[in-house]
Amino acid sequence: MDKIDPEEYEKRVARITSLFSDIVKHSETQSLTRCPYKNKDDRCTASFGCRYKSPIKSDESLPQCDSDDLLDYRSAWDTHPESYEKMRQQLQETNLNPDDPRITSAGTVSTVHKTLPAKVGKTLFDYADDFQLSVPSSCGRMGQCHECIIEITEGMESLCPKAETEAFLSESFRLACQSSVQHSDKNICFSVLSRSPQILTATQTATLDRDPTVIRKGNDVYYQDELIDQFRGGIFGLAIDLGTSTIVMELVNLQSCEAIYTCSFENPQRFGGSDVMNRISYDAGPFRGKLHRVLINTLNDKIFHIAEQTQIDRRMIYEIVLVGNPTMRDLFFNLDVQSIGQRPYKSSMEHAFLEGKRTTTAITSLTRKLRLAVNKNARVFGAPIIASHVGGDIVADLVTLDLAVQTGTVMLVDVGTNTEVVLKSGNRMVTASCPAGPAFEGGLVTFGMPGYEGAIESITYQEDQLTYQTIGDVKPTGICGSGLIDLLATLRRSEQMTPMGVFADKAQAFTVVPEPRITLSREDASHLAQAKAANYCGQYILMRSLGVTPESIDKLYLAGGFANYVDPESAIAIGFLAPVDTERIIKVGNSASQGAKELLLSQKKRQDIEKVIAQIEHIELETTADFFEIFVDGCQFKPMQFV
Amino acid sequence: MVELTDIQNTSLRQEITEYVEKVNERQHLIQLYSKARPDLQDIAAAIVAGDHETVDRLTEKALQEEIQALEVMDDGLIAGMALVGIKFRENFIFVPEVLACARAMKAGMKHIEPILSASGIKPVGKVIMGTVKGDLHDIGKNLCIMMLRGAGFEVIDLGVDTSSDDFIDAVEEYEAPIVGMSALLTTTMPNMGKTIEAFIDADLRDDVKFMVGGAPVTPAFADDMGADAYGDSAVECVDIAKRFVATADS
Repeated sequence: MDKIDPEEYEKRVARITSLFSDIVKHSETQSLTRCPYKNKDDRCTASFGCRYKSPIKSDESLPQCDSDDLLDYRSAWDTHPESYEKMRQQLQETNLNPDDPRITSAGTVSTVHKTLPAKVGKTLFDYADDFQLSVPSSCGRMGQCHECIIEITEGMESLCPKAETEAFLSESFRLACQSSVQHSDKNICFSVLSRSPQILTATQTATLDRDPTVIRKGNDVYYQDELIDQFRGGIFGLAIDLGTSTIVMELVNLQSCEAIYTCSFENPQRFGGSDVMNRISYDAGPFRGKLHRVLINTLNDKIFHIAEQTQIDRRMIYEIVLVGNPTMRDLFFNLDVQSIGQRPYKSSMEHAFLEGKRTTTAITSLTRKLRLAVNKNARVFGAPIIASHVGGDIVADLVTLDLAVQTGTVMLVDVGTNTEVVLKSGNRMVTASCPAGPAFEGGLVTFGMPGYEGAIESITYQEDQLTYQTIGDVKPTGICGSGLIDLLATLRRSEQMTPMGVFADKAQAFTVVPEPRITLSREDASHLAQAKAANYCGQYILMRSLGVTPESIDKLYLAGGFANYVDPESAIAIGFLAPVDTERIIKVGNSASQGAKELLLSQKKRQDIEKVIAQIEHIELETTADFFEIFVDGCQFKPMQFV
Repeated sequence: MVELTDIQNTSLRQEITEYVEKVNERQHLIQLYSKARPDLQDIAAAIVAGDHETVDRLTEKALQEEIQALEVMDDGLIAGMALVGIKFRENFIFVPEVLACARAMKAGMKHIEPILSASGIKPVGKVIMGTVKGDLHDIGKNLCIMMLRGAGFEVIDLGVDTSSDDFIDAVEEYEAPIVGMSALLTTTMPNMGKTIEAFIDADLRDDVKFMVGGAPVTPAFADDMGADAYGDSAVECVDIAKRFVATADS
């Protein structure tokens, strides 16, 4: 046997160390949701007691783990959880000198409607507890899971500096568990991300074809032809509408085909930007993968929440159907989204499909690979996209509206952070995507806000008096999308604003509400004009491409986010919507969510919609020759003109 | 171009088919396994299966047949561990399985160690590892041991529920200069302090360096107990041990 060369041996040692390092890192993540003593057959290898250990049967060597992983498994071990907390508190308190004069503070820490005195050393997570705000965390507040993202609206300088683990957060975002009060003489304000926005959950109740992928045969559970589990008492699926600003999740019973539970919440990726292009840029930076990780963590948190609320075992969830625009969908699947941000603005899946490497743009994957907290053999189906930025959510709209079989001229306008339009006339279908931006969802407008409590949602002018209604009928704090549209229309009708957004008397701002002061500035109007112009261009250019006039449109479906609350007359008056007879305008609420459910329950619909997608032509707005002129026209607050 | 069928070991072929989905990883493993001798393929398969007895037997046999030690490591032990890493990352297997595979790797390395000595390659250092008295949690400790051995340390594992006397006896018997202690319960954490005091009483404190870890342990606590270092992960554990060795040599 020859001697071993020490240098050569060192290389092997380095290789082994690298392999093991990856393993150790992954084990840290895996053990956030699964006890590390539990082996692949769900048996317990621990030598200490745990309340989930079943007694050993004579023919077995290891006890079964009866945990459904709903609880933090550490609390089930023979340990003393109270002593953990005591120890942690003690260590925190010993860092603080009780004679420190900064302790009696002049400053406060507050969130919406709640305030407490500022105390040096106390974390914002502690304050959230005191305020009874629900903030998710699955790492015991150690800064690892990154689920407790909060937004600091005032007093960032009074908090301790950002920890290394917070490096991925920009500007006004922090982790609640890592941000503690450092200077208590000034005020600090923060807001927790998931509030309870007035978001639409599906409203249509069409009869559904039933042909799900997961079925029960006797005591077995099958995914198509594959045996994946023993029947546990139920078969469920999740339909997720992954919007840029808002996510809706529905739990569906796949045996009875009924939706059982619905929840909607803010998309947690806002720290990476409020629109798709910003998030793509963020993902190109040093924190690639962060948007994906944060999203998965939040979805898992909601899955746990749903399971708790419905008392349903998470392991009975066997399929997830996900609809969303290409960027949102690809971030979910942890794919590289950079190609969507650059000409020709296509996702990697679309490129592969066009090159013949894939037969569909739909993605089917094991949930296990994405570390989703459902049955370990469950699948996730990412609905196919149409083209470029027009994605699975529009596909879902088409599924539920059955647009393809409708006769006459039909237009679908799905309004959101991005607006998509689909127009069918004769046997041609065209589509375009308009990056409206966040102006109508609360971004960029001084007093703009999403559809939360306190938002002005409608405005009318009666006898020279401006009257408004707020969500929740409380004192107004801002104006949401539908309110902004009403406001602009009202200002135009009463001639207090020109189509170019100039106020009467050349004022810099228009006062909507004098007390508390809510105004609309010229700059706000300008942002809204541009957002509206995007919507305008999409509809105008598609209509022109098929030679369709507003009078010839038989039905206009208005879908998405705040669309259900929009007043069509106001929308038409300012050029936000094409001037179609209001009796032909049908509001369909969150049809994407409904479509996701239908795809979940029917494999045939998944196949059928592919044929429809194949017929749709995508029109790229920017390459239209006179796009700029149309956009400029579209910026004016007046109805669309078709010559 | 090599194909899956060029791999002679059937179990490896099955594993790749069932568990390796990324095309580039599949290709890499197919290349790796197909060009290895069948005897070494069998070792890799046994590593993946976590079968330490087979790895033991086959490694001994391969070395007796004069196959070079580095080749046995590359194509047998490390090749197997690479697949284990992939399966773990994709959540097909979990920590208990990984530890079984690491144990199998240790069984193979046992036969390579004499050759390392003969080549003048010594262990980087010697470490005694144990979970303190009254505490039965061992996964963190086991992952640290896996990393230490992988990095070239000789590790004596005292297991769980280790008393101060057990630590002292081990240090004396093996003449080990590094002791690593783990605790997962706040009620057993103080035993770390007790052990260090026992070493002071036995006049052995200056002969060893203590590193401690475990979920409830903090740097402040480690300091209060009189430990020399605190590590919050298995990876850091190796860095600390290396630091101890470096300062001892200087």
